[in-house]
Amino acid sequence: MLLDFALPDHERKLIPEGRVSGSMPWVIAIMTFLTLLAAAAGLIMANAAAQGGANLARQVTVQIIEPDPAARRAQRSAVARLLQTAPGVENVEIIPDAEVRELLAPWLGDDVIDADIPVPSLIDIRLDQPANEESLAQLSKQIAPIAPSTRLDSQADWMVPFFSLMNSLMLLTSGILLLLLIATSASVVLAVRSALNTHRETIEIMHMMGGTDLQAARLFQRRMALDALLGGVVGFILAVLVIWLLSMQFSAAGSSLLTGAALPWYGWIILALIPLAVTGLAMLIARRTVLSALKKIL
Amino acid sequence: MPSVRAMQSVVEFDNVGLRYGTGTETLTDISFTLYPGSFYFLTGASGAGKTSLLKLLYLAHRPSRGSISMFGQDAVTLPRERLPGFRRRIGVVFQDFRLVQHLSTYDNIALPLRISGIQEKDLRSPVTEMLSWIGLSERANARPATLSGGEQQRVAIARAVIGRPEILVADEPTGNVDPDMARRLLQLFAALNKLGTTIIVATHDIHLLQDIENAQMMRLDKGRLADPTGSLKHPPKPLVLKS
Repeated sequence: MLLDFALPDHERKLIPEGRVSGSMPWVIAIMTFLTLLAAAAGLIMANAAAQGGANLARQVTVQIIEPDPAARRAQRSAVARLLQTAPGVENVEIIPDAEVRELLAPWLGDDVIDADIPVPSLIDIRLDQPANEESLAQLSKQIAPIAPSTRLDSQADWMVPFFSLMNSLMLLTSGILLLLLIATSASVVLAVRSALNTHRETIEIMHMMGGTDLQAARLFQRRMALDALLGGVVGFILAVLVIWLLSMQFSAAGSSLLTGAALPWYGWIILALIPLAVTGLAMLIARRTVLSALKKIL
Repeated sequence: MPSVRAMQSVVEFDNVGLRYGTGTETLTDISFTLYPGSFYFLTGASGAGKTSLLKLLYLAHRPSRGSISMFGQDAVTLPRERLPGFRRRIGVVFQDFRLVQHLSTYDNIALPLRISGIQEKDLRSPVTEMLSWIGLSERANARPATLSGGEQQRVAIARAVIGRPEILVADEPTGNVDPDMARRLLQLFAALNKLGTTIIVATHDIHLLQDIENAQMMRLDKGRLADPTGSLKHPPKPLVLKS
């Protein structure tokens, strides 16, 4: 089929190629642009979910709930020491009291915290494996003799709804991609049928002189491929611009939730392949549409 | 002892009928045999069915009934994918010329050769020669819309004959040209005929018969081959070859 694309000049003349003047390249450009945005969104979400999920699944927060500040500090140090040597714990980081107060201030207010409200001490740990009930129970058992009022929170727990939302959005993105594909295919079919009607006389003359259906199909698929390629390139350039601008804004936001929200390197390759895939699809649909229409005439 | 054999027919119609849709038959009980290298005129009044008969001859339609044999094969049940091969052996001059409007005179004439896959370097000489023959060398790059009716007709004829078809079917090929050009075109047909092409010319102008030696005539009347003065004034006869 690729060889069919390279028609000699005289065959190209048979169907005039008013590419830019027609609406098809622009329809394809819009479709490609939307397809690329949907694909980029899906890839970014998949990447964020994979990266964030992998990190968060290993993060556990240890809360030491002890009303006496001195005992709380002592327990915190002892638990931190214990965890640093505990099997399966990769990293231990004590959250300074000042940082904990800063986190709570927006909810409780500076005055209340300064009034010596018992605020739990926090220790962030990273496990070498994703946390599960068994590993958390094991850690609790080790910590209990040193600090009986301790609670272990896996960060994955509170992120479950977020990742569930991510999965739903990815499903939605896949659905949008499918719909765009169907809409693009339908546009190509309509354009080819319209072109076929416009050039029916030429095709009939070719037939009467012994032209084959494939010869006619090659003319249309080439024309459609050029339209699709032109539209695809325009759509790609616009989509890359938009994705790049959005990436800049994501980076500027600096949120920890958005750290994984970037297009991975392989994502750019997939996006670059989409206009080519649309061109191939347009050629294939054009060929099938023409062959199917010509079968109805002798 | 010399052996004698009859030349095989190139076209054979047997009891052919043609009906468009559910209407009455346009052609009824048509039976005739055409032989290679013969020259036939098909005459008849307007609406007699000449164009419909020619359409059957150049395989634009299949008959509603009867059988048609072309080049020794059944053309009625011929699979669609084999039609191009047959059509390349038939040259057609359409009554309304049917030139490709966005192609130049040169490209229109070259079209059958290009469809047959002839290389550009091999078709330049025959196309240029043909342009010269029909007197349109100067108009090689002109589009059909800028040509007169007579010029378009000459281009249509050049396009039909350039591939040296085995059968040439022409629908009123001299209808739009002056008598001098009509004679020249008939001479072209005659020359092609001498090379072995079977020619079938549908025309109102029965005087053309006088210009072609040994031409035979078929006359259609209301969709039937009429006996005239006979169904065939000079009935087609098989040529006899001595070997």
